[in-house]
Amino acid sequence: MALRNQISKEEFLSVFQTLPLNALAEKEWKNKTDKNFEILDFPNKKDESWRHTSINRLLQHRYGLGKSMPLDKKTVDSFTIPGMDAYRLVFINGYFNAAFSNEIDNDNKLIIKNIAQVKKEKPDLFNQFYENTSIASENFFTNLNTAYATNGNYISIPKGMVLDKPIHIINFSDGQDSKTISQYRNIIIAGENSQVKIVNSFHSLTVNFTLTNVATEIIVNENAHLNFNIFQGEGDDAFQINHTKVLQHRNSYFSSHTITLCGAIVRNDLQVKHIGEGCETKLNGLYLPSREQHFDNHTYVHHAKPHGTSNQVYKGIIDNKASAVFLGRVMVDRGAQKTQASQTNRNVLLTPYAKINSKPQLEIYTDDVACSHGSTTGQIDKEALFYLQSRGIDRRHAELLLLTAFLADVIENIEVEPLKLFVNLLISRRLQGEKDNSLCSMDEVCHGCDPVD
Amino acid sequence: MSKTLLKIENLKASIEGKEILKGINLEIKEGEVHAIMGPNGSGKSTLASVLAGRELFEVTDGKIQFLGKELLGMPPEERSREGLFLAFQYPVEIPGVSIVNFMKAAVSQHREHKGLKPLTAGEFLKMMQEKKELVEMEAKLNNRAVNEGFSGGEKKKNEVFQMAMLEPKLSILDETDSGLDIDALRIVASGVNKLKNSENSFLVITHYQRLLDYIVPDVVHVLYNGKIVKTGGKELALELEEKGYDWIKKEND
Ligand SMILES: Nc1ncnc2c1ncn2[C@@H]1O[C@H](COP(=O)(O)OP(=O)(O)OP(=O)(O)O)[C@@H](O)[C@H]1O
Ligand SMILES: [Mg+2]
Repeated sequence: MALRNQISKEEFLSVFQTLPLNALAEKEWKNKTDKNFEILDFPNKKDESWRHTSINRLLQHRYGLGKSMPLDKKTVDSFTIPGMDAYRLVFINGYFNAAFSNEIDNDNKLIIKNIAQVKKEKPDLFNQFYENTSIASENFFTNLNTAYATNGNYISIPKGMVLDKPIHIINFSDGQDSKTISQYRNIIIAGENSQVKIVNSFHSLTVNFTLTNVATEIIVNENAHLNFNIFQGEGDDAFQINHTKVLQHRNSYFSSHTITLCGAIVRNDLQVKHIGEGCETKLNGLYLPSREQHFDNHTYVHHAKPHGTSNQVYKGIIDNKASAVFLGRVMVDRGAQKTQASQTNRNVLLTPYAKINSKPQLEIYTDDVACSHGSTTGQIDKEALFYLQSRGIDRRHAELLLLTAFLADVIENIEVEPLKLFVNLLISRRLQGEKDNSLCSMDEVCHGCDPVD
Repeated sequence: MSKTLLKIENLKASIEGKEILKGINLEIKEGEVHAIMGPNGSGKSTLASVLAGRELFEVTDGKIQFLGKELLGMPPEERSREGLFLAFQYPVEIPGVSIVNFMKAAVSQHREHKGLKPLTAGEFLKMMQEKKELVEMEAKLNNRAVNEGFSGGEKKKNEVFQMAMLEPKLSILDETDSGLDIDALRIVASGVNKLKNSENSFLVITHYQRLLDYIVPDVVHVLYNGKIVKTGGKELALELEEKGYDWIKKEND
């Protein structure tokens, strides 16, 4: 359905004629992305992987380029995770905020730094990962990101280092003056035998139509351990496209939690490829769309080498007229013997209008594997609810107990302890119907924590 | 004369348009034990569910008074807080909700209703401990999810344990004896007897006389085809055990 005021690809791209000088891409590189744009169109329903997610709502608006804005301590503090001592990097509308960040650049060994700066100081390092990656022009939005991203993170953990505390990347969007596009490009490299935990959170500061487009590339080298958490709490009119690509080398460990609590349309693509033997992957997701929000998680685990394991658990509670998509693809190549892959997607629909599209996609080209998948969708169990009520527990509290129990294992698996406590708190408040500013800071407009009916 | 606890008048209830209860009259006084027997499918559990407030069944006629209050229209949680308890014939499993958290929520809402102070964590755990000993329930069940993976016997013990925690005025035991071996039956029955006093009452639904050897009823009713067709003393239970239900059916069909 083409909506009335929908803007065309040309109109959408026209704002980038005034490319900010500080875009990450070089001029020559832009020629390539321009060429790509001739072929790449907005994703639409004919595109298999966008069948259940329409971006029409996003295309109702003309966006401008993001502007850097000052931040105050109170605002930043209110979005830090309680009790989490972290290396912090703060961005707003695609721009780095040095005042509230603590960067590290230790003789080219440990680097936790905004990527624009890395480009300036170490162009070779930057180029190695920017132009030559497969993420660059995978689809319309990654191409857009490659062409016009303004900043992001470069994180490199040297061989053997166990980072003493997590890294927290905070991305604010603020469409105060205009409808704004913010684009981030992240490169994260965990050196051989190293260990690091990263939290990337997204919040809106004002309500307006904003688009946040993120592309993250992660390389987990031999025997390294990397835990990556995406925490999405942008406003009710905020669109987010988040593309993460992970390459795992021999015996490495990668785990993720994608926690989506708020946003208008959120699309997450998480792709993991085992390029060495014996890799372990755990992908977890929690999504709680409400009102007319739409959250879409696409995962893709590609077992290209033997003895790999992957384990995916995604759970959602869908309220009001909201909808969600989970598409989990697992590919096991012919050479990937002894692969163990499992995938679970469970959903609770709180209303008759709530929708979920859940689909596992297993492509297995070797015999010697153990793969399982399961998907369930249901309402709150009426019998269980009555049982709890019959013991004197009121309906709201009984529902809360059941829904909390439903999500418990995924929350329990969060590997950053303060984040686990925080998510637990936010979700229980959310399920209890308390408004909570720390979700998206706009209790008037973005009822991020509407009651469960 | 002792107070009337429960008074059911001409209660009719149906499910999916099918009438299951066809005019039940029943009065239970404080301190009394009533037994309800009757063939499968006669409506015993339906009566228990309607009393506990299950919405699945539609009440089409009649009145239920509990301690002078109208029970119909009261949500299940309020009935519980007012002192009504149903030990389910088939307790449901609730994955992810531990017995401790479940009982904590229940007890605190009961106490709030009565205007009592919340229990401290220590007081609450002590209470759990005492009540569990009453039904010889294993301590390790505390952190297990409610009824999940429990054996038949454990589920029934868990029902009586919850009853002990909530100290109801009227307890409806729906086949709490079914499927129990003799040792488990003795434990469950003695648990019930320890809770019994001159102020609380029991409505015991059973198919077997054996339970009634332990929990001796004052009155025995026969429910057949949605109606109480016979009421007598404890000897009626013996008669039913001996003769079965055919004579009842003959008299009433
Ligand atoms: N959920 C339901 N949906 C449809 N019919 C039901 C439902 N529950 C009970 N019934 C019907 O109501 C009637 C009475 O059932 P009920 O469970 O009350 O009998 P009962 O006397 O408790 O039997 P039993 O001795 O086997 O426990 C039966 O015909 C049964 O099929
Ligand atoms: Mg029954």
